[in-house]
Parts: sequence; structure tokens; C-alpha cells
Amino acid sequence: MSQTDAGELKVGVISCSGEELVEGTVSRLATRLVLEKLQAGRTVTLCLPLFLAGGEGERAFARVHSTIAVDGCEKRCAARATALYSAQPASEVVVSEIADGRWENLGTRRKLSADGQRLVEAVAEEISVRVDDLLGHRTADGEASGSAESSETVEETVCACQTGGVHVGTIRIGEETVSLVALGPILDLVRRAIGPEVDDEWRKRELLRQVMIYNSVPPEREAVYAQALWDAYSRGQSDGRVKG
Amino acid sequence: MCAITDGLSLAPERVLVIPCSGIGKAMGTISREATYSVVEDLRPEVADTLCLSLLVMGDEAAHARVQRVPCVTIDGCKSECARKNVELAGGTVAERVQVMEVLKRHRGLKPKTVSELDEDGWELAGFVAEEAARAVDRTIASVARKEVAK
Repeated sequence: MSQTDAGELKVGVISCSGEELVEGTVSRLATRLVLEKLQAGRTVTLCLPLFLAGGEGERAFARVHSTIAVDGCEKRCAARATALYSAQPASEVVVSEIADGRWENLGTRRKLSADGQRLVEAVAEEISVRVDDLLGHRTADGEASGSAESSETVEETVCACQTGGVHVGTIRIGEETVSLVALGPILDLVRRAIGPEVDDEWRKRELLRQVMIYNSVPPEREAVYAQALWDAYSRGQSDGRVKG
Repeated sequence: MCAITDGLSLAPERVLVIPCSGIGKAMGTISREATYSVVEDLRPEVADTLCLSLLVMGDEAAHARVQRVPCVTIDGCKSECARKNVELAGGTVAERVQVMEVLKRHRGLKPKTVSELDEDGWELAGFVAEEAARAVDRTIASVARKEVAK
């Protein structure tokens, strides 16, 4: 992913990945299909158990992203846990409802049958439609059209997506101005952090870690990003605007 | 309290093997496949699994089950989502297996793919499964010793 892609709006897709049922495997594979192919570059994910095992950054996931919960069964663990710990998902997809008896044999939770694979594709297509609903359809040149603004036009933006907006801020990194999803809230979150482990080194690490949750940071540029974020933090930047 | 009374078929409640099933990296898929290998191939009579997402969501029956039965968790990364969620649900993690630790003992392996494991991923999943199966055995033996001591 290129630098200029770093601030693009992304939809979060959260799968239940239920281990007990074949539908859990379908939810997982359909989510991966969306992330890797159908909506590559426009979607991100978070491991569902991180809502409890992780920290405030992980629990902020659905507050920053419009999310689609993908559940295997009617218990709707992904949708309910996302709503409980983070924010109400913008959309929900339930594998068993899409299957709706159309396929008799989905295979096993370890090895899907041909019908099971077809269900994966059907569920992935449904997720992809929901992504388009949230971000607008991807045009022939790869840009999204519709409700979301592209990063090139964003300086300080609360985007008009269905869950009330995703904050995108800009920051100078090297010679470039880069848009970052959730920059302002991340700077504020780290500024508010308290605890025995919180010192300058911790804050510097945490700034980068939080930014990497919501944005794609090229591995070879992590150190440059870390320094730029720290500089912005140290200048008192809190609203996602470029300063200095 | 788990009513496991000896090493194998007398166990009325099976040890729970719970993977993180992390969706972002190959290690999560390896934890999942290793779990299926344990509960379906290596120790089907004495091991079972449970949807981790049920624990995350706060399902009462799932919480009661992990509180009743010892668990072996398999985690793909240092976040240890499986272990932490079982413990937060009030369950007992009898043993924990970390995929990254197993990988350190098999440094030549470089699993990459997530949706479908590549050859190295499957090989590592096999090693993780063997380790988890031994953890299940130790857990059952430990429970049996405690029962005898009563």
C-alpha cells in the first residue's frame, strides 16, 4: 500500500470465526476473501477476542471505523460483542441466514465442501455490497465514489458515513503530508493515558501502535512515522491539523 | 469441578482446547487448525473445543463450561487472546501453548498464508497440535491425581 493510501477510509470487518460450527469457518473465510480480494485496501479487520484481551485502542475500533459484523449463527457474537465493547456495527451479516437451507452439505468446520465454498463466496459478496454501501462503489480507476471523500481532498474531515463520521487528520511525515484515520483521537488518547508504565518512550510506542491499528504503515517507514507522530504530539497537536 | 477420572474414556467432560483463531496472520489459522487436529484426530475422546467468541460475548453457558472444565489455550501471538479471555471468563487455563514459541523450535518454517495454510503452515500446525495434545494428557493426569488424593 502506498503512502497516499495511508489515510483512506476503511471499513472494519469483524468475524466471529466460531470454532465449533462450520458456519464459523465460513464467516472467517468470507471475511478473508473480502480483505484480500473483493475489497482489498478498503477494509481492515480486528480479531474479535482483542476487544477483551486488548486495550482501549482495540476497543476504539468500531468507534473509529464503520464496522460490518460477520457472524456464523444466530447468537451473533461478533455483532453483540462489537456493540458491547466498542460501538454498534453499521451492518451485520449472518452466515446461517444467507445459507437459509439453500445448501444441504457445507462440509466440516475443517474442510468445506464445494457448497461450503460457494457459501463463502455468497457471504463475501454480501459483505462486499455492504462495504460499497458504506464507502461508495469503487470506480474503474480504483477510487471510491459516493459518501466518503478520498484522502487527497481531506484536510480535516469528519466523513459522512453512516455511523456518524470517521476522523481523518493530516501530518507531515518527511517531505509528505499524509492523511491518517483517527489521528486526532489517537493523539488525545495517548495524551490522556496515565499509569505507572506511561512515560515518553511508552507514549512514542503507543502513538505508532495506535496509528497502525487504523492505517497502513509501510514497515520500512515505521521509524519515520514514529518520530513524526512524536513531534506532532510534542507540539501539542490534538486536532489532526498540520502544524509547524 | 471437572469429573475426569482417568486418562481416557472415563472422562465425562472433555478438556477444552481453545484457540485464538486470530484472523490477521497465519499464526491464528495455525492455532485453529492445530485445535481441530487435537479434538478430531489426536485426542477426540478427551478433548473438545468451544467458540472463543461466545466467551467474548459473555455467553453464560460458555462461561459455566470453562469454569467447570480445565482448558488448554493455543495462542498465535503475544496478545494471548485465548488465554486472557478464558481467564476473564473465570476459567482455569491448565496449560497454554504459544504458536510463536513452537515456531522458535522450528526456525526453518516460514508460514505465510492465512486463509489456506501453505506447506510450512501445515507443518507448524502439526507441531503445535502435538504439543497441545501432550498438554491435554498432562491436564488429565493432573486432574486424576487430584481426584485420587481426595
